[in-house]
Amino acid sequence: MRKLVSIVTVLLAPLSLVAQDAGATSVATDPMIPFYLAVALLFVVALLVIVVAVYMLQVLQILTNEEARKQAAAKGIPYVPEPSWWAKFMNTATDAVPVEKEATVMLDHNYDGIRELDNHLPPWWKWLFYVTIAFAAVYLVFYHVVDSWPLQDQEYLTEVQVAQENIKKFQAANPVDEKTVTAVADPALLAEGKKIYLENCAACHLADGGGDIGPNLTDKYWKHGGSINNVFTVVKNGVTGTNMVAWGSVLSPQMMQNVSSYVLTLQGTTPAKAKAPEGNLYEPGGASSDSVKVQAMIK
Amino acid sequence: MELERIQYDNKIVKAFMIATVIFGIVGMTVGLLIAIQLFYPLFNFDFQYTTFGRIRPLHTNAVIFAFVGNAMFAGVYYSMQRLLKARMFSDALSWTHFWGWQLIILAAAITLPLGITTSKEYSELEWPIDIAITLVWVVFGINMIGTIIKRRENHMYVAIWFYISTFITVAVLHVVNSFELPVSLFKSYSFYAGVQDALVQWWYGHNAVAFFLTTPFLGIMYYFLPKAANRPVYSYRLSVIHFWSLIFIYIWAGPHHLLYSALPDWAQSLGVVFSVMLIAPSWGGMLNGLLTLRGAWDRVREDPVLKFMVVAVTAYGMATLEGPLLSLKNVNAIAHFTDWIIAHVHVGGLGWNGFLIFGMFYWLVPKMWGTRLYSTQLANVHFWSGTLGIILYALPMYIAGVMQSLMWKEFTPEGYLVYQNFLETSTKIMPFYMIRALGGFLYLVGVFLMAYNLVKTAYSGKFMANEEVDVAPLMKTQEAPGGYWHRALEHKPVLFTILAFIAIIIGGAIEMVPSFLIKSNVPTIASVKPYTPLELQGRDIYIREGCVSCHSQMIRPFRSEVQRYDPKDGEYSKAGEYVYDHPFLWGSKRSGPDLHRIGGKYADSWHYRHFYEPGEISNGSIMPAYKWLYEQSIDKSTTPAKISAMRTLGVPYPDGYEEQSISDLEKQAGRIAENLKLEGYEVSGDAEIVALIAYLQRLGRDVKVKEDVATGN
Repeated sequence: MRKLVSIVTVLLAPLSLVAQDAGATSVATDPMIPFYLAVALLFVVALLVIVVAVYMLQVLQILTNEEARKQAAAKGIPYVPEPSWWAKFMNTATDAVPVEKEATVMLDHNYDGIRELDNHLPPWWKWLFYVTIAFAAVYLVFYHVVDSWPLQDQEYLTEVQVAQENIKKFQAANPVDEKTVTAVADPALLAEGKKIYLENCAACHLADGGGDIGPNLTDKYWKHGGSINNVFTVVKNGVTGTNMVAWGSVLSPQMMQNVSSYVLTLQGTTPAKAKAPEGNLYEPGGASSDSVKVQAMIK
Repeated sequence: MELERIQYDNKIVKAFMIATVIFGIVGMTVGLLIAIQLFYPLFNFDFQYTTFGRIRPLHTNAVIFAFVGNAMFAGVYYSMQRLLKARMFSDALSWTHFWGWQLIILAAAITLPLGITTSKEYSELEWPIDIAITLVWVVFGINMIGTIIKRRENHMYVAIWFYISTFITVAVLHVVNSFELPVSLFKSYSFYAGVQDALVQWWYGHNAVAFFLTTPFLGIMYYFLPKAANRPVYSYRLSVIHFWSLIFIYIWAGPHHLLYSALPDWAQSLGVVFSVMLIAPSWGGMLNGLLTLRGAWDRVREDPVLKFMVVAVTAYGMATLEGPLLSLKNVNAIAHFTDWIIAHVHVGGLGWNGFLIFGMFYWLVPKMWGTRLYSTQLANVHFWSGTLGIILYALPMYIAGVMQSLMWKEFTPEGYLVYQNFLETSTKIMPFYMIRALGGFLYLVGVFLMAYNLVKTAYSGKFMANEEVDVAPLMKTQEAPGGYWHRALEHKPVLFTILAFIAIIIGGAIEMVPSFLIKSNVPTIASVKPYTPLELQGRDIYIREGCVSCHSQMIRPFRSEVQRYDPKDGEYSKAGEYVYDHPFLWGSKRSGPDLHRIGGKYADSWHYRHFYEPGEISNGSIMPAYKWLYEQSIDKSTTPAKISAMRTLGVPYPDGYEEQSISDLEKQAGRIAENLKLEGYEVSGDAEIVALIAYLQRLGRDVKVKEDVATGN
């Protein structure tokens, strides 16, 4: 048996690694962490208290039994130990006729040698059944008769409303929009931007920005301007009539800021397969960007 | 009293047992293959007949109907003859039943990889096979009831009650759920649409679990467990109460497969409460099984038969507690569409059905061949590799399910999804898929060991095709006064069958009839229009390829799902959107993202390239490539027949639209092909991929048309 346990442990070891990996992002940001920790601690303490209490009760019982045995011996009467509360509880809960006495409840049924006993329905089982029936009644009444618990459409509205309030608060504290956006330089944020790029943009612009369904992002030509504000605007709103979709409802302003900043770092890199330039030449900090028109469709 | 010499038919039992082992191995091997495909898409072999979508139903049908089904018939034919002291009613019917059933399995094995499917889970087989199933099932029923009628035992034992309820309920389920309108020899459309189709399907699907995988095996447990343990059944009263409560309550629980869907709330709630009330009746069976072993536990340690049975009954208890818990809405919100459900069914399938079958076979073969088991040690190895297999299967899938679900739901403080890309949540759980496959492999190895052990056992003995026994003829007896009322029922098989029928028909009727008759249950949306001919053909390709195996079309009313699948308009799925969906395609598992709002999300060219090589567009995608869709042509000639069939089912195509349908199809296909050409992709308008793109681009858009009109006014 021990061997089996160790095999299982070894086989399951990789699981914990992956689990940690997935949880990492959420753990760092969750403000409820102290609360969870407190609950976990409370739980562990409660468990310990129970273990100790049970142990103490056991010891106590051994001592009292010992005492009773001595007294019985002193009086010269045979000692019959009091059944433990657990044994008593089990007796009431199962109400089973002991195996030794089962002949008393043997029915006259005999099917190919199979006999049947007439044991009671286990009382705990009956209680369980009654409780589930009561649950069903309460459930139906509260959801559908007195309508005091929310059905799914209402639940959804509440969920969205609460979320919107929280987001509003957050955005008020951390504003980023088309006008105020700035290119970030923090490597961590750029890495975040790269991750977003690979997940969402690389399908059309390719991983190295060389362009495919969407334009080349490594050259100096832009269809809608090459400033951080321009790129952010295109990412956020998309471009109607093209394959560029609006990411404003999918990515947060911070995420769009990061990915736009990352896109600008692709400038001047050499992709494996560069799509021909499209749009206008844009010089960072340059005067006007629409001076040179490129009719670039070589395809 | 004069004794009568009769012969029990063992040959038919042997035939069903051989079929069980063969199809068990086949079905589980396919299961292992699809488990591997989920982390090595390479194993789809770039071959249309072996892609996940087409062979996943092959796995489920093979293990449910071929493996478990044949074992059920073996157990029923063996135990029923002995419990009723009568040979089966008719040998001819027995063998018709056997060969008929094997032919159905063969038909399934051929048609499913070909993509001939209704797409309704566990009911995928097309209409001619559905009819064959009905006929064979009736043959089984006549044979069974005939045997009961000519029995030499006054009363029917509890196992027989379960067999009777199995027969009538499966018949009702199969017939009602298979109502479909044939379009051609191998194509039909479900009689029901959308929400109603979903309700009927899951009433069927859930009760297929109840009355194909549970009740017959409770009957088998009630025979083989007391026999193997040589102990009396713990409580007759418990048998009575849990039998009737089980069959009455089970039938109501189907809607728990559709929680937070577009199914009306009241039906969902009935599904929840009846699932919860099902705990005690299910546990009644487990208790009666385990408590029957009182006084025999010392033998459980040594006897592989009892070992298998104990784990089987325990797995039954676990699965039947987990089921009701999964039916609670807050648990279901996490577990639905994830691998948790896969783990849950496999605890039931591998643990309860599989292990009970193994226990039964290890007991039966020595008995029927008049010998001893070839190797107890090998059976023990089987037991441990099977048990370890179940653990390694279930645990990683529980973790994978919960992990992925939490990733789907996680938001940043700005209110955006942390894992926007669905694929990212899939790649994270790949290691668990690998361990799961290992678990499945261990389980399968065990089955091979069993096959070897049983064959060796059989060779060491001599098979008794007809077992002779002396039995007393049936004597009419009066019930002793003061006995249990139920005793009287036990010698009236016809009355018993009628009562069981009433018990199982109530729940289904109360849930289904209002859903069909009361209009408010599916609020109509004026802007939802029937599919165009090309979209309809595309939808049939979607059905053929089994896309529904991995993609749902049901965005639940959760912020996380609306944000993921329809961030722009924020619409979750509404009942009125599915009114022309014969059959519904809501799906039950998301190995890929939901597709209900995929229409218009990507350009045609994106789909064009994605289907050709998904991994190129989505790095690490586990979706197989669908290259044949670019070579095969749409069978346009079927279009008019499909339009007519849909109109018969209530889809409002104008009269005479059939004539126009092919030219409409060609026009739309031409537009898409032209569109693709502009982006540099040369494709014929006849290619199947064009129809599939047309269907996908239509999905979930009609509901938004209304808004445009509303603002336009």
